Amino acid sequence: MMVRIQVNQESCIGSGQCEMLEEETFVLDDDTGISQVVGTGLLPADRAEKVIDMCPGRAISLTET
Amino acid sequence: MSTAPTEAPLSPNVTDASLYLDGIPYDRFAEMRATPGLVWHDYHDGGFWAVTRHADVRTMSRDAEVFSSAVGHTNLWDLEADALEARRSLIDTDSPDHTRLRRLVARAFTPKNIRRWEDTVRVITAELLDEFVEKGQGDFVAEVAAPLPIRVILTMLGVPVEDAGYLVELSNFLVEGTGETQSIPPDAFGNTTELRLLPFNSPASHALFEYGEKMGEMRRNDPQDDLVTSLVQAEAEDGDRLSGSEYRNLFHLLVFAGNETTRTALSHGAMALADHPDQWQRVLDDPSLIESATEEVLRWSSPVMHMRRTTTKEVELAGTTLGAGEKVVMWYSSANRDDAVFDDPFAFDVGRQDNAHFSFGGGGPHLCLGAYLARLEIIVLLEEMAKRKLHLTRLGEPVRAPSNFVHGVLSVDMAVEARA
Repeated sequence: MMVRIQVNQESCIGSGQCEMLEEETFVLDDDTGISQVVGTGLLPADRAEKVIDMCPGRAISLTET
Repeated sequence: MSTAPTEAPLSPNVTDASLYLDGIPYDRFAEMRATPGLVWHDYHDGGFWAVTRHADVRTMSRDAEVFSSAVGHTNLWDLEADALEARRSLIDTDSPDHTRLRRLVARAFTPKNIRRWEDTVRVITAELLDEFVEKGQGDFVAEVAAPLPIRVILTMLGVPVEDAGYLVELSNFLVEGTGETQSIPPDAFGNTTELRLLPFNSPASHALFEYGEKMGEMRRNDPQDDLVTSLVQAEAEDGDRLSGSEYRNLFHLLVFAGNETTRTALSHGAMALADHPDQWQRVLDDPSLIESATEEVLRWSSPVMHMRRTTTKEVELAGTTLGAGEKVVMWYSSANRDDAVFDDPFAFDVGRQDNAHFSFGGGGPHLCLGAYLARLEIIVLLEEMAKRKLHLTRLGEPVRAPSNFVHGVLSVDMAVEARA
């Protein structure tokens, strides 16, 4: 199952964990160092769960659909 | 505000720094992990709740709103308000201050950007190992574990390498400051500041602040492509982003954390490899194990043994109800041996899978900034040792730091031999 994720820009601390785990979905902005979702933001549910769990700023969540 | 426990305390003692001269008191932690709820621990200026199980450390680490880093102190003892303010770094802040400070330095330490330093780390490591092999034996800490990380962090900061020795010396005095005694007088290094206003209550912090100021001044006048330049520019562009006190404390933190903790991991890693030759042989036979061996070295070493938080409101943890304003201490050294998570936790296993150690903290916003730098340094050390087929043998017991905070090794004599 695919799920869609989002980044809360307020709580992102710029650790880059998400960029390491899912480089096609997250990229740290060059200027701000804050994570951005690129592309569709869709991930398999298990991988989404992992990246949400690993985020130190608790900044990644599923979008409500 | 501190509520006394209803039942008689077990009176464990895991804070006496002299205990650590014989290593981490793992048996005491095992007893605390087996005790239901949280265990109350007496301490000089008021006790704390000891959090010793992996699951509870994890829960706490991830709830920074309830378990504050900005209130009281992140070390065991409380600080007066002015001291806390003067010493406040990334470690002792909550969001939004923490987020703002962290973002100023985070970019240099992302997994992706840390990879750019691999060649630098490799050159430094190779040089130190080759010198050590040529000597054949010596203190592994002085020969390899101390100089490696300090040279790397100083290169990143932009500090001249000839000052490395001085900064290692300062760092050793800082570790001492977490214990009960200081071997240097309060006015060492020309210090005139009250010790309680200095990180680790140490005059060495004054020296490190002063060094950082001098570096900052140099980079303000002559910007370079390094971390100090990016910090002083953040300070200059907009005073709201980084105050003078924040700069000093951040510089202090980067130097201290960038060398003391990784030095500890490398020292314990070397001892573990010497003490478990079968495990090192596994790595030599199959270098693809270096990644899991690195995580095992991290779990094994628990470089930072605890961090303290203070509750901002009433909360229940592990069945114990905590009031607001209570001290709660997460013992990573205990979580890293919790058999609820790790099979055979006292076995050093370079092939260990799903190694959810807490040597970089239990998750949450205070996750170690330098985690990927530390990993890189351990990986490269293991790779370069494997490439040379180096075997380490212990020549004696380590001299451990008398600290309940950093699992430090001051020296450990070893023989090194390249076996073809």
